[in-house]
Amino acid sequence: MPPAAILIDGLVQSCIFMTMAFGMVLVFSILGILNWAHGQFYMLGAFVVYYAITAAGIPFPLSILISGMVVGGLGMLVEKYIIERLNIPGYGMLYVTVATLALIFFFEGAAGMAFGLMDKGLATVLPGVLDLGSFSVSYQKIAVIIFTIVILAAMYIVLNRTKIGLAIRAAAQEPVAASLYGISVKRVSLIVMGIGCALAAMAGGVMAPVYTVSPFMGRIPMIFSMLAIIIGGLGSLTGAIVGGIILGFLNSVIAYYVSYLSEFVLFLLVIVILLVRPQGLFGASIK
Amino acid sequence: MPYFDYKTWIPRIVIAVLITFFVILPILTTSVITLSIFISSGIWAIAVMGFTLILRTGQFSMGQAAFMALGAYTAAILTVNLGIPFWPSFLIAGIVSGIIAMLIGLVVLRVGGIYFSIITLAFGEIVRIFAQEMEGLTRGVRGIIPPQPPTIPLPGFEINFAASPVPYYYFMLLLAGVTSLVFWQIGRSRLGSTFASLALNPVLAEHQGIHLMKYRVIAFTIAGVFTGFAGAYYANFLSIITPLMFGLWQSIQIMMMSIVGGVSSMVGGAFIGATVLYTLDIYLSRLPIYNIQYLLFGAAVVLVLLFLPKGTGLVDLWGKLWRKIFREPEEYEMPEESEMAVE
Repeated sequence: MPPAAILIDGLVQSCIFMTMAFGMVLVFSILGILNWAHGQFYMLGAFVVYYAITAAGIPFPLSILISGMVVGGLGMLVEKYIIERLNIPGYGMLYVTVATLALIFFFEGAAGMAFGLMDKGLATVLPGVLDLGSFSVSYQKIAVIIFTIVILAAMYIVLNRTKIGLAIRAAAQEPVAASLYGISVKRVSLIVMGIGCALAAMAGGVMAPVYTVSPFMGRIPMIFSMLAIIIGGLGSLTGAIVGGIILGFLNSVIAYYVSYLSEFVLFLLVIVILLVRPQGLFGASIK
Repeated sequence: MPYFDYKTWIPRIVIAVLITFFVILPILTTSVITLSIFISSGIWAIAVMGFTLILRTGQFSMGQAAFMALGAYTAAILTVNLGIPFWPSFLIAGIVSGIIAMLIGLVVLRVGGIYFSIITLAFGEIVRIFAQEMEGLTRGVRGIIPPQPPTIPLPGFEINFAASPVPYYYFMLLLAGVTSLVFWQIGRSRLGSTFASLALNPVLAEHQGIHLMKYRVIAFTIAGVFTGFAGAYYANFLSIITPLMFGLWQSIQIMMMSIVGGVSSMVGGAFIGATVLYTLDIYLSRLPIYNIQYLLFGAAVVLVLLFLPKGTGLVDLWGKLWRKIFREPEEYEMPEESEMAVE
């Protein structure tokens, strides 16, 4: 049994992967594409929070909301001007994949130019630790966990109790039938992309005090949340959450035992899961 | 000659002019940098052709750089650790890479679509981590320095790889030429049509008696062999192999080169995409503002995708020009590639 600090760290990581994977699956279920630049929205969200706190002096919770709005708007722009124009039947997956991969370079270059390549710390936010006897947890990590619970609960309510949530679920199930009932699938796509990017940005923002903020911080979470939604089952929101938990915990627990080989073991595990169950843990059977 | 059929002759003349230009290029310029850019672009083009071949069967590999790494490390370990001469180990590198591609393909190609992409991505990362952590074999992040090819004595003069990049350039031309011929013939042959049928409608193709797995594995293996050659040669040209030279970002680069160049032509698109993007990358990185090259590179790729007609790449501009000059009606003979719909 690894020490509790390792488990807490795993929990924090799974929270981030869960939130990001949730947004990715939401986007996938409506648009039918994977947004490979999701990690860069995470990075931009962290930068927005960093500058909101250090330059403007906005309190931490409020700056997370601001980063969600700003980056969500950016995501909507990306959807409207790039993804929607490339997402045509037959070629969509290919072209959107390459375009969003190119956006990774674009956003990282832009962030590096605008904010510099130095790692920026935000350790002054929520200082202090919660002492739990044999181990202690920093308030920053507790904030991440609380944030994830709140955001997933909010998403549950939005998806199941509101009109827009009904529209999103309808458009995900049957786009044609949904548009016959007066739902603009185009607008739903825009909203969903905004929500997905906002989730990623807020995850980055809440994570900013725990790690450092740098233009390249989005790559690892992007790959891991991608793996999470694949092993969880593409298009399944439960799968995204479970996949995020599995990968987050395994990442820190395996790293505790075999240090550098943890990624190796994880990737091997993903391959094995996909070979045994190609549709993912919670995906519907293909055949 | 009673009738001059410009439709068949003009493309041939253009290709002949291009080939002549590339053959006499070392006479026209002695700049090491220009030659290096062309050598590297040619090597990337070989890898891109492999990617395009896999794409022709409807699969989307995100780990092609891993096969470059396999080829590069095989060749280097054989020459440095086992003392095998350069040329045999170069051949063995391609073969080893092909065999590994075949084994991986036999296991992995059962799952298609996005799952195949993710598995190849994971495989690429596994190869990179393996190379990074197996210090005893690969020297980890310090990298291996592969020896240069031996001097080949010929009557009158000798080919000295250490003195200038010109021999590297000509050997790159040879390698790229052989690869282009192979892939061009595959594209024209029955095999190529079979691949296209797999991409267009796998279910129908299977019901027509085409063994899906067999042809997917064939494509993946051929791509693996040539990508391995490309990797071995690239590492040898740069005289260094580190794990980070062939990581996920290089796989992504291969993918971008293929799509930007255009996948309707197996050979031309690869060369155009690789040359344009590699040259762009090199020249952008000379700009004085730090990090601007990533921004402009990403923007350029997105703009190309946005403003070219859908389903085409830069190589199809030739066809467009052709139709404009000769006022031919638009015809779409291009096979519809890669139905990447997730079932």
